[in-house]
Amino acid sequence: MNIDNTASQMRKGVLEFCILSVIKQGEAYPSDIIDKMREANLNIFEGTLYPLLTRLKNAELLTYRWVESNSGPPRKYFSLTEKGGQFYSELEATWNELANAVQALTRSPE
Amino acid sequence: MIYASTGAGKSDKKLNYCVMKQVININFQGRVVPIEVSAFDILKLYTDSLNRYFANENGKEEIINDIESRIGELFQERLKTGATCITDEDVNAIIKSMGRPEDFEEVESDNTASAGTSSAENQNANSSNAGSGATGFEYIKSKRLYRSESDKVIGGVCSGLANYFGIDVVVVRIIFAILFFSFGFGLLPYIILWVAVPSTASTQIGSPRKKLFRDNDDKIIGGVCSGIANYFGINVWIPRVLFLLPFLSFVFRLNNSNWGDFPDFFNFSVSPGALFVYIILWLVIPEATSTAEKLEMKGEKVDMNSIKNSVMEEMKGMQHRAEKFGKEAKTFAAEKGQVLGAEIGQVSKRSGKSLGDIIALLFKIFAYFIIGSIAIALVIGLFAFGIVSVGLFPAKDFLLNAGWQNAFAWGTLIFFIAIPIIGIITWIIRRLANIKTNRKVMRSSFVAMWLVGIVSFVGLIISIGQDFRSNSPINEEQITLANPSVNKLELTALSPDKKYFRNNWYSMRPFEVIEDDTAYVRNVTVEIVKSKTDSFMVTILKLANGEDKRTAQKNASLINYNAYQLDSLLVLERGVSVNKTDKFRNQRVIVTVYVPVGKQVRVDESVGWGNSIHFSGPWNNDRDLETVDVERGWNRNTDYIMKENGLYTLDGTAADEYKNGNPSKKKNGIEIRDGKTNITIDENGIIINDGEDNYRYNDETRQKTIDSIKSEMKRDQQSRKDSIQKIKQQLDEELKKLEAPKSTTVKTQQNNYYVLPAYNPMIMMLNK
Repeated sequence: MNIDNTASQMRKGVLEFCILSVIKQGEAYPSDIIDKMREANLNIFEGTLYPLLTRLKNAELLTYRWVESNSGPPRKYFSLTEKGGQFYSELEATWNELANAVQALTRSPE
Repeated sequence: MIYASTGAGKSDKKLNYCVMKQVININFQGRVVPIEVSAFDILKLYTDSLNRYFANENGKEEIINDIESRIGELFQERLKTGATCITDEDVNAIIKSMGRPEDFEEVESDNTASAGTSSAENQNANSSNAGSGATGFEYIKSKRLYRSESDKVIGGVCSGLANYFGIDVVVVRIIFAILFFSFGFGLLPYIILWVAVPSTASTQIGSPRKKLFRDNDDKIIGGVCSGIANYFGINVWIPRVLFLLPFLSFVFRLNNSNWGDFPDFFNFSVSPGALFVYIILWLVIPEATSTAEKLEMKGEKVDMNSIKNSVMEEMKGMQHRAEKFGKEAKTFAAEKGQVLGAEIGQVSKRSGKSLGDIIALLFKIFAYFIIGSIAIALVIGLFAFGIVSVGLFPAKDFLLNAGWQNAFAWGTLIFFIAIPIIGIITWIIRRLANIKTNRKVMRSSFVAMWLVGIVSFVGLIISIGQDFRSNSPINEEQITLANPSVNKLELTALSPDKKYFRNNWYSMRPFEVIEDDTAYVRNVTVEIVKSKTDSFMVTILKLANGEDKRTAQKNASLINYNAYQLDSLLVLERGVSVNKTDKFRNQRVIVTVYVPVGKQVRVDESVGWGNSIHFSGPWNNDRDLETVDVERGWNRNTDYIMKENGLYTLDGTAADEYKNGNPSKKKNGIEIRDGKTNITIDENGIIINDGEDNYRYNDETRQKTIDSIKSEMKRDQQSRKDSIQKIKQQLDEELKKLEAPKSTTVKTQQNNYYVLPAYNPMIMMLNK
């Protein structure tokens, strides 16, 4: 049993979940997502976001459309696909279960 | 891909000036962006690092394109606020917010650190085992060997190796520690790897470390010197002079053709050494072609201060890391011990996979070790061969004809010896650094050059063999001795004028001295033979080889070797002189001293053993020369007396104790051996062993034996008596000469100063 591996798995799951939840609230542009996550005190590098988005898109959980921008190149606005929506709700359920379970377990001895 | 999208469009490159820095316009994501050259270089390095990082990623192009378009957007924002161009600071700020590849990894390391473990390499190895599909954030395991900067105790060599081979770093460390403490030679490979293997820091962007490149813009031969100058931040002429200086001295000496201090091998070898170093550096150091590489090449100045600083930092971290390693090793040993114990316990139930893994790993290490040892032995052997041949090289003029043979010799030295050395070293370094450019071209050119070398080597051997094919006829000269009837002859040799080889660590034994164009070859053999007359005789046999009988004879007759007598000394020349026109053709000299019975002989230490640089082969007729009665077993610096049956020391021990029929001293008696018959005379009586049975012989034969011994002793006594008598006579004569009170001078017409003793009856008659 390797703790590093577990931790990175946990974090990755959470990151994806967080990104999906931001996008679920409405079409989002990557730097919006970063800003929102930073507001929530979850600091990540912008560079780590792009590969994640690409992977989610390739897994057909996300889709995007090009929006012309007056400051620079056209932007990609991401939104959830139907599959992504399902995926999100499953993740949400799992998360809630987990959160409850973890809370219950970590508090129990006292 | 990235080149296309960044489009460092050379066509629309314009020169502007912005705070005294060069500015270029680039086409970045469809927009023209004015950017400082240095900022562009930083940007380029960054996108390159992203390319490397995402190399194995599925949507690599898309990801990088996304990141680039975001950067482009940030550029536009920056330019809109009124900046005239994008500066270094802008690019750095953007990179900081985007994160560097190593920051992407840190996202993970942060986690692991908070989870309470420390080994980042462990995580790498394990997570990549977990499958690349499962998580996307893992550092893609590189197939290049790097020293790990993130997990190091000393230089990061062990963790680099561990990462490369997919082994646990602690195993590698333990192996190195065992090698170091038990054999001491773990240190050398470690240092070599430390030096040769690049650090992971070299892959990180904006790292202050410089890289060594060849500078193509400022080159004379290969740009090695200017590259080195750039690396160390010194003027170009310094490395150039350092490279040229020994070479110039080499040429200078060649022109003088003065090999006065020739055996001083070190001086001689420096010049080809510098050449070797240059060629190897040329092959190994990559050329700085892109702007980014040129920037890396020039980088931050590496001066004493920065070296000192980095050393101080290293030292600070060292203690901490060593402690950490100690702890790790402890927990690792405990864990593995348990696991191994469990494995062995369950080996009947399970397949024992881990145990098999460990065995496979040990086997792997063993195999690498064997291969490595062979490679090292090969390199060392070649080096030794190279050193010897370089050392012998100035002597080539004494051996080889100008023209083909000379060309073959050079071909052998360069292509047969130097090329494989350069090739192997280059191969090892390229292997370690995983440089893959032009591998095929390089390999085939090395092989081709080596084939040329083999051809020249074979040609050289054959052509030298031709020159040694024939033997000179035997041609013995007798030396006229001034006084052949001396009682003792002492052989000594003239010392050469100068003894160069004394103080040098590299000495050329066969060539005693090499002067301008004469070398002295110590091919002198001394043989002692019993004389048939009662006076000493010395002969000199001169031998040589040549391409045919006549040349061989000519070569032999050209040998200028002399011996002359000075009282009881026989002075020999120390070596056979060989000059550059007549060449070395196995010229050798055999000095035979015929010693009469009862006289003494002594061979001085200065007369070397005939040693030799012979080119042995079917052409040598030396074995035909062996005479039956040559004395054997004598030593230098010992007085010997010649008896009827051979040489004896003055205290009566035979020089050659195995000679047939030689009575030799036993502890308390005499033993005589004659073939298989063995006669022993001691307190047990006379025991005769004829090789079949041990028995006491009958009185008659005993008497016979005793008689023969007696007669021999008598003969010996007689010969001693004779010699003493002879000496007595001589002494008497001398005494008479001294005692003669006055001598009269007789005037004759022919000779007017003839000294004669007064009592001579002839003179008395004349006087009358």
